Order: sequence, then C-alpha cells, then structure tokens
Amino acid sequence: MTSRLVRWTGVFVAVVGLLAVSVVDRGVETEDQRIQRLHDSYACPVCDGQSVADSNASVAEAIRTFIEVEVVAGASDDQIRDDILAAWPGSLLNPPGEGFAALVWVLPVVVAVVGAVGVAFVVGRRVEATTVSSADRDLVEAARRGTER
Amino acid sequence: MYSVIGLAAAVVGLSGSVLGVLGGAYALTTSRLHLLRTVRTWAWIVSATGVVMCVVMLRALAVRDFTVDYVQQVGSPNTPTLYNIAALWSSLEGSLLLWILVLGGFTAAMLVKFRDRHDDALFGWALVVMLGVSAFFYALVAGPANPFTAVDIPVGFEPRGPNPLLQNHVLVAFHPPMLYLGYVGFTVPFAFATAALITGRLGEGWLIETRRWTVVAYGFLTGGILLGAWWSYEVLGWGGYWAWDPVENASLLPWLTGTAYLHSVMVQERRGMLRVWNLALVCSTFCLTVLGTFITRSGVIDSVHAFSDGPIGAWFLGLFGVVTFGSIGLIAWRGDQLRSPGSIDSPLSREASFLANNLLFGAMAFVVLLGTVFPLLAELWDGSRLTIGSPYFDSMAKPLGLLMLFLMAAAPILPWRKASGEVLSDRLFWPAVLGVVAMVVALVYGGRGWAPVLAFGLGGFAGGSALRQVVLATRRHGWRGFVGRTNGGMIVHIGVVLVAVGLVAADAYKVDRTVSLEVGETATVNGHTFTYLGGDGDQNSRRIRIWADIQIDGEDVYQPATTLYREQGVVVPTPSVRPGFSEDLFLVTDAVQEPGQPVRLRVVIRPMVTWIWTGGMLMFAGTVLAVFPGRRRRGTEPVSVVSSELAEQATPA
Repeated sequence: MTSRLVRWTGVFVAVVGLLAVSVVDRGVETEDQRIQRLHDSYACPVCDGQSVADSNASVAEAIRTFIEVEVVAGASDDQIRDDILAAWPGSLLNPPGEGFAALVWVLPVVVAVVGAVGVAFVVGRRVEATTVSSADRDLVEAARRGTER
Repeated sequence: MYSVIGLAAAVVGLSGSVLGVLGGAYALTTSRLHLLRTVRTWAWIVSATGVVMCVVMLRALAVRDFTVDYVQQVGSPNTPTLYNIAALWSSLEGSLLLWILVLGGFTAAMLVKFRDRHDDALFGWALVVMLGVSAFFYALVAGPANPFTAVDIPVGFEPRGPNPLLQNHVLVAFHPPMLYLGYVGFTVPFAFATAALITGRLGEGWLIETRRWTVVAYGFLTGGILLGAWWSYEVLGWGGYWAWDPVENASLLPWLTGTAYLHSVMVQERRGMLRVWNLALVCSTFCLTVLGTFITRSGVIDSVHAFSDGPIGAWFLGLFGVVTFGSIGLIAWRGDQLRSPGSIDSPLSREASFLANNLLFGAMAFVVLLGTVFPLLAELWDGSRLTIGSPYFDSMAKPLGLLMLFLMAAAPILPWRKASGEVLSDRLFWPAVLGVVAMVVALVYGGRGWAPVLAFGLGGFAGGSALRQVVLATRRHGWRGFVGRTNGGMIVHIGVVLVAVGLVAADAYKVDRTVSLEVGETATVNGHTFTYLGGDGDQNSRRIRIWADIQIDGEDVYQPATTLYREQGVVVPTPSVRPGFSEDLFLVTDAVQEPGQPVRLRVVIRPMVTWIWTGGMLMFAGTVLAVFPGRRRRGTEPVSVVSSELAEQATPA
C-alpha cells in the first residue's frame, strides 16, 4: 500500500507542478494575442454566426481593423466592446449573461446537476437480485451464439 | 422522359411503402404472419425504386436534360463529371433522393440479413417502421420536394451548375454520402427498438440483433462528420474546420447520443439494466437526425451552409413530433416491463463509469442543442436577435471534454460489478505516467496554459489506458486482439485521443495574421517566411482562377487562389495548405483581379491539425474492427430476465 501511495503521490505532485509551470510561465498576453482573442469574440454581422476572425466579408475586415486600431491606441476590452456594439449592433458572439439569454448559460448547469444527482441515485440504489431461470440463460446464450457466428 | 420515369418511380415507392405499412400492421395485429411475405416484397420494390430514381436523376444530369426541374437548378454543361454526380446531393430535392437510396439500401440489407425470419413479429414491425419512414420521404419527393417536375426551359436560360463550393474539392463526393449513411443508418436500431416496444419483447434480443447496425451507422457518421470538417478546412477558406454552425451541430447531435448509446447498451447486455434509458437513447438519436434535418432544411435558423428555406420544414417538424411523442408513449406504455432486474454494485465499476459517460454525452448533446436553437427561442420570446457562436460552445465543451478524457482513461480498466482500490491503482499507474510524460512534452514544445496542458496530460492518460488494453488483448489473443467490439473500441479511443489533442493544440495555439505583400516582398509570421513570387491565372468555360505563388521558408511554393465561377458570378477563395506533423500553414488570399498585383495574404498557423485527420481515420478503422466478431465469451451472470417474467413479478397477486 505504501509503495502505491508513494507512486500516486509522485504522479499528483508532477501533475500539479507541471500545471503550475504552464500557468506561471505563460507570461503576459501580447498585443497580437489580445487582438486575436478579440477577433475571435465578435460575430461578423452578415455571416450567420461566423466570427470576424473567420469571415472574409468586408464588414468583418472592417471590425478586425477597428479592433487592431483600438488595441494599439490602448483601449480597454470593455471600451472596445461598447464601441463595436454601438457601430455594429448584434455583433456579440457570446450570449449575454442577463435577461432571457442568461438561460443559455444556466440551463446546462441545471441539467448537469440534475443528471449527476440522477446518476448518483442510480449508483446508490439497491435492488434485490432477480432470480434468473435456466431457460432465460439459454435464450440469451443462443442469441449471442447467433450474432457472434 | 426522365421526369415521367422518375415521378413514376416515386409514386410506386410511395405506394409500396404505404401498402407495406398497412399490410404489415394488418398482418401483425391479426397474427396472420404469413402475409408478411407480401410486405417483404413491397420492401424490395421500395428499395429498388430508390435506385431507379437516383439512376434516372444521374442520367438526366449527365445528359443535361433541362426539362427536369432539378437539373435546371444544379445542372450545367460545364460541370466536370465528378461534380455532376455530386450534384445529385448538392441541393434539397436531390439530397432527399440520396436519403431514400440509403434508406432503401439499409432496408434491403435487413431483408437479406433476416431472410429466415419472415414470420417473426419483431422483424415484421421493424420492417413496418422502416417502410413508414420510407413513406415519409417518398411523399416528399412525390409532393412538395419533387425533383422530377417537368418544366419548360425559359427563354435565355443559362445553366448555373451546383453551388461553387460544391464543385471545387473531391471530398464533396464522399462527405455527404458518408454522413447520410450514418444518419439514415440509425433508422435500423430505431426500427427494432420500436418493434421491441410494440411486441413487448423487451429483453436484450433486439439490442444484440442491432448492435452491429448501430456500430456501422456510428462509423459512417463519424467518418462523415470528420470528412465534413476536412472539407470545410480545405475549401471554405476561413482557416478552420469546425464553426459550431447549426448544420455541423445537427450532425454532431445524433453522434453524441449514438456514442452514449454504444456505451450504455453494454450495461444492458451484461447486466440487464438501463432498459428505458437505452430505448430513450435510440429513439433520441433518430429524433435528432430528424430534428437536424428540420433545422437545416427549414430555414428557421440561419446557417452558412443550410441550403434550403423550402416548404418541407413543416413536414420534418411533423415527423419529429410523431416520432418523439410516439416513442415517449410507447416507452410509457411498456413502463412496467422495462424495470431493471439489477443494481450497480459500486461506483468503481464499468457500469457506473458508463453511466457517467452517458451523463457527459447527454450534457454535451443538451448544450449543442440548446446553443443551436436558442437564437430561435430568444426571437420567439422577445424578438431579440442573438448570435451564439464558438466562444459559447467552446466554453461549455472544454470542461466536458476534459471530463470525458478522464473517463476514457478510467473506464476501460474498470471491471464489471466492482473494483478494488489496488486493482485501480495498478492498472492506471502506467497510463498516468504516460499522461505526465505528455504534459512534459507539451511544455518542452512551448505549450502553455493550464487547460491545454491538462488536456494533453489527460490525452496521454486515456491513450495509455487504451494502449494497455490493446497490448493485453493482442498478447492473449494474437491478431484477434484487434477485432471485436471491445478491442475495436480501444482503437477508436486512441483515435479520439488524437482528435482531442489535435483540436486542443490547433485551437489554443493558433496564430492568425494578414499581411499585404508586393511581388518579391517577404513577411515573417511566427518564425516562417512567406515570399510573394508573383502569380498567374488560367481559365476555362467554367471558371477563372488567379493564384499567388507564395514561397514558404525559401523552399516549396504554394498557390492560394481565388476562383471566379462564371455561371454563378461568385468568387471563391481556394486556400493552399502546407500540412505537417507538428503544424499546418494555411494560406488564403483576398480576391486578386490580375496576376502579379499586390496581395493580401492571410496566414493561419495551427499546430497538430494532421493529428485530427489521423485520429479520425483511426476512429473509422477502429469502428470497422469493432464490427468483426471478437473473441467468444460466455454470457455474463446474471443474464437478464425476459420482460414477461418481470411483468408477472410486477403484477400484484
């Protein structure tokens, strides 16, 4: 038991250490990375759900250029967001977390929690074993033989 | 002539389907099972008319008979033969013909496979359901979506050919048929599930009969989805492969529930449990194929490649309602007979892990469905226009994906019923070490950020677990260690790991730059040089293509192009990709008017994209291996009881 504990402690420490390195060594987001992130965050208003990063439409290019100019000028993410929504309404690619739209964030969590409780219930439930007749065993065995032939 | 033959075939197919349904239902409800032979004959006719309709339409496309409505829509004398064949499924009405052809193929395969069971009520009802679905599609092509309508050729008519995006890459010939084979293939398990509910034969017989059919459908759907992603990457010129577009989501939904079913069905086969759940999953999978078709064919949700806003949306909504409420009603009707005879002994067991798997896949399916239809719901609610795109789906999918990878590592090594901590520890240790090694390698090669690095680690963990199972199986059974559901499933797992790791890397470490270049100028992006050497163009009766010669790192020259399709007047960017084991360099240019002009070049560098396609091929190969019979095994105790016995027990004395 002790050797198992030591081995798994080693694995755990290694995983935590490597994750720490991956976060600490990441550094500050560069200007290019920030522009890329913002490009990925806004919808091309005429492209049926494509991001401005992915769209080749001229309006998408205009928004991309606008973001680049704003980032270079030192605008914050919130300022850029407000400016883009003022100029191109409906270009948010991520639904807002308020009003009716908040449901799209809340419902999956509710479903996951209810599902997890359901699974826990099923796993924890105890049902008395059912007696199985030899005829039933023969039936299933015959069916298996038939399909594995 | 082609209009007449095609429509006649559609009418015969519709009549045969309806007569088959009515005759079958009559024979089965009155126990005149000898009449089922007639139903089989109708089923053969219905399958044959599907072939006739497709052959007629292909011939009409080949000879460019523009008096046929569909040929007038998508035909052109300038379309090359391959894309002329692919034009069969390039628009709504033709894609319904493909659907009917595939459905007829599966029906014919059922008739051959169960040729000795012509008086079996289970098979009889399954055949009736197949014919009922056929009747729906035949009614569409004989009615509101008739591709064979005879039309006059308008004065000054200029053929347009198929959508330009559907005539510039060979994958368009394979992606839709493979996807349809998967979509339609799930009709077979649905038909048997419905038959089991109607007949009350709710033991494991119908599951065992249909498990290979389900695996086949799953394999084709997997292949179809991945080919679609590959096509998107190679053709659409946006630098990605999956946009969470409603049409893509529509194909993913049945894949998710189908994957959940493939796992949970093993619990029922082994332990006789989860009967209601498995029936619900089979029915949901079929319902989601119908819902997906409604989403993509009705025009209710905007999509970059939804190709119809025709009148048939209401038809699919009707079918969706019938199938959904019919399934719920049948399951409720048989509720007493669907009680499980056993219980899960321990959370550390194979069956408990499959339940957790189902929870994750179910949650993922819910997220995809909700995100896809929510803009429609919001508009109905308060008239607001919402866009739900990649950031939403990514933020929801990532945690679920990480949990799935963890489960993929743990589940295969868990025994049925109960595992001790010692067993778990011993079996999981080396896969865990592989996971740590994967994290180290990721960090050494510049991977940063806890989520991607954790995903690499879990990928190594899951891959190690699957490899362990494959090694053990091949040691014990030689080459047979690769075949059978369990062993093939492990190959699929390894493929999933490659896909997952590829997706994470390609998304997390993407570099996307647009540069303007004069001839002879060089730009540097992420350590690579891109030199614009000039360009050239060519043209034929169909298109004008102008490309830029871009030399990468002073070595090979790649030619991203823009193509003007004359008939449609549409300019399509055609990317050029330098694939590689560690990264892909994806080049696409803006519309260039003349060769040699300054060019705006978009460079997208995505690491490990090749891993996605390799993993996809491995998933498909693993699915093929899973179809072959594996090692024989004794039935596991306890076998499930037949439902009638359960019903007797459930009935108060």
